[in-house]
Amino acid sequence: MNLKKLIFNAIAVSFAAMLMAYFFFPLLTMGRFAFQVTPVIFLTWDNLLADWNFDSLVRGFTNPRVHQSAAITAGLTVLTIAITFVALLPIAIYAETMAPKLKPIISAITLLPWIVPPVALVVGVAATFRPLAPWFLNNPLSLSFFYAVWMLPFTYRAIEGQLRMIDVRTLMEAAQSLGASWFKFAFAIVLPNLRNALAVSSLLIIAAVTGEYTFAALMLKQSFPVYLIDLQSEDVRAGYALSLAVIFLTALLLTYVSLRLNKRGQTIKMIGV
Amino acid sequence: MKNLTNKYTVGAIASIPFFLLTGIFMIWPALTIVFKTFITEEGLRFDSIGRAITGTYQDSFWLSIQLSFVSAVIGGIAGLYLALLVGRLKPTSRIRILTQSWSAVASQMGGVPLAFAFLSLLGTQGLLTRILNDLGLNIMDAGFSLSSFWGWVVVYCYFQIPLMFLIVSPAMSAMKPAWLEGATSLGASTAVYWRRIGFPILSPVLLTGLLLLFVNSFSAYATVYALSSGAGQLVPLQIRFILQGNVITGQADLGYALVTVSMALLLVAMVSITLLQRKFARWADK
Repeated sequence: MNLKKLIFNAIAVSFAAMLMAYFFFPLLTMGRFAFQVTPVIFLTWDNLLADWNFDSLVRGFTNPRVHQSAAITAGLTVLTIAITFVALLPIAIYAETMAPKLKPIISAITLLPWIVPPVALVVGVAATFRPLAPWFLNNPLSLSFFYAVWMLPFTYRAIEGQLRMIDVRTLMEAAQSLGASWFKFAFAIVLPNLRNALAVSSLLIIAAVTGEYTFAALMLKQSFPVYLIDLQSEDVRAGYALSLAVIFLTALLLTYVSLRLNKRGQTIKMIGV
Repeated sequence: MKNLTNKYTVGAIASIPFFLLTGIFMIWPALTIVFKTFITEEGLRFDSIGRAITGTYQDSFWLSIQLSFVSAVIGGIAGLYLALLVGRLKPTSRIRILTQSWSAVASQMGGVPLAFAFLSLLGTQGLLTRILNDLGLNIMDAGFSLSSFWGWVVVYCYFQIPLMFLIVSPAMSAMKPAWLEGATSLGASTAVYWRRIGFPILSPVLLTGLLLLFVNSFSAYATVYALSSGAGQLVPLQIRFILQGNVITGQADLGYALVTVSMALLLVAMVSITLLQRKFARWADK
């Protein structure tokens, strides 16, 4: 009996150790490549600690084209968040308070992005928008509409979950008996109560938009992730350093927010189903 | 009566932005592809679908399905085991919280940065490749390469394992410890408990997880694209290839057909997921 337990524990510990190695070694070697100038073939135990510096990161951060592409991605992020809230909040609050029958329909529509992958949507966009409204696609910020749709499985579920938790129906009855219109109720009472869900949705959008490559690249837009790839062919180290910085910052942001939510007994729902 | 008209006005105003956004930017383009697959200038045709699921393209679908399936199963098993181990820790445990937030990050990783991280570890100039080589093991000679099928699987597990962990963890914590106590007090061993109670209850969630992992890797292609310098034969890469006009003209309908078949495949997976979710919700709410 005790031996069995010992074997189970040994398996558990070695599994955890292997998993840690699997998750962190690629990041470590990526960091070494970015910040140590010595090529792998010349690496020995003696020069392992030599020639480390952050020049590549500085080069990356001072590159004007990095600034340009980062500005596009920042604009895309802000617009995507705005579009998401405008499109999602009214209908989510309305369905929760007045039309529960609408909820399964919204839920089904928000799952569609799982079925239409980026590559497929690019084909569709080429067949629809390109002949009708080329001016629209010429603007890099047009991507934000598609990003808002893609994030719906996540954003809708974050908002819908919170709406259910705060019991909006009772709140609405109270507000109406005090003479508030529906719109006033939605803005003055529901919105402030949705702070957490809005923060989580924005965070997920930030994480997704700063990493989205496929769609932007196929639409020939120089967003930050797309430029990172170009940079990798010009200045490999700077590209690696910036990629690593992005991973690190996202991890920090997500950890911070999930720690804060955890204190209130909530978690980030990363699964859009 | 006034209240009723008011309700519909509010509803219309509140719903318009949502239906405009999803209608214009997702449903319209997607339906157009399906429409154009079957209705060409020569009328109703089905032959492009035929070409999309035969020959090289059949091989592509097969490769994509294999990669998605294998990475979903391996990632799924590892993620499930991780959830089991972490589930034993207290909810306030630091390790548990850190595992959760790290999983949130890693499950969203992918694309080029992930590919480069693994190239620096296991590529031809990778550090681990070099270390293993010094120890007398040449992984290239042993048949391992990041641009091969198993290389892709190794990289895909990086986001599949944490994704599975995130899917099954909530269900694991929803399982009441009283069930295990009840079962053991009636004479069941832990193994019997898992086989007869734990696993049957978790199975809808597990299947949901596996399907979602499948869908997740079927649509991804940037990672493979970066690992194999654009040479991977996955379906999304074939679509991209046609899209960029690298195929004999007059084959635009082939691109449409490939997209239609992919969407049909993903649709089947998503419908199964929602059905399974309903089954799971039934006992989770009790």
